[in-house]
Amino acid sequence: MAFRGVLRNVARRLQVRSYASDVAKGDDMALTFAAGNKVFYDKVVVKQVDVPSLSGAFGILPKHVPTLAVLRPGVVTVIENDGKTSKIFVSSGTVTVNDDSSVQVLAEEAHPLENLDRGAAQESLSKAQSEFNSAANEKAKAEAAIAVEVAEEILKAASG
Amino acid sequence: MSAWRQAGLNYINYSNIAAKMLRRALKPELRADALKRDESHVRITPWLNGRPAHLKAAGAK
Repeated sequence: MAFRGVLRNVARRLQVRSYASDVAKGDDMALTFAAGNKVFYDKVVVKQVDVPSLSGAFGILPKHVPTLAVLRPGVVTVIENDGKTSKIFVSSGTVTVNDDSSVQVLAEEAHPLENLDRGAAQESLSKAQSEFNSAANEKAKAEAAIAVEVAEEILKAASG
Repeated sequence: MSAWRQAGLNYINYSNIAAKMLRRALKPELRADALKRDESHVRITPWLNGRPAHLKAAGAK
């Protein structure tokens, strides 16, 4: 049986690749992360990026399949090449993963977690909740519901 | 489909609200500067026969 294992190993090493894997790809993942208020990374090579998207949170490593997604409010975690981790709260925006492994995270507003104020987050959550309860029409209710969702997410991030 | 889409809102509306909420949850010393980004101003100038017809700020009736 050990012989068969060796055979399989050799087969795997000799495997001929085609199609997508033929495209030359670097092992580096260059991250560009910018928001309306600040540029956090400009084509910086990083290890991993975790993003919250409307279709669920996902992690991006080099050679990730090309992807487009819209962001939901939450924490983007960037693991830099030296192992340093930085957590940045994004309001919303887009994330693009390209064929050459480059990643763009573009947010409308983004701030490091240490810039969040727990008290202010709690206050704006209460305000959003009362606006939700007194909303006169469907549109106002939907807007208030978004505000509540965002405020809860900010509070969670600020408390964690 | 999410509730806000059902109510006729789009992702731009969603994003604006989310950004606004985030700016309100910043530490006080950062908040003042951030709140300036809440409003954006657009000036629209219609042109007629090669010259600006009249000037008015967007949103003015």
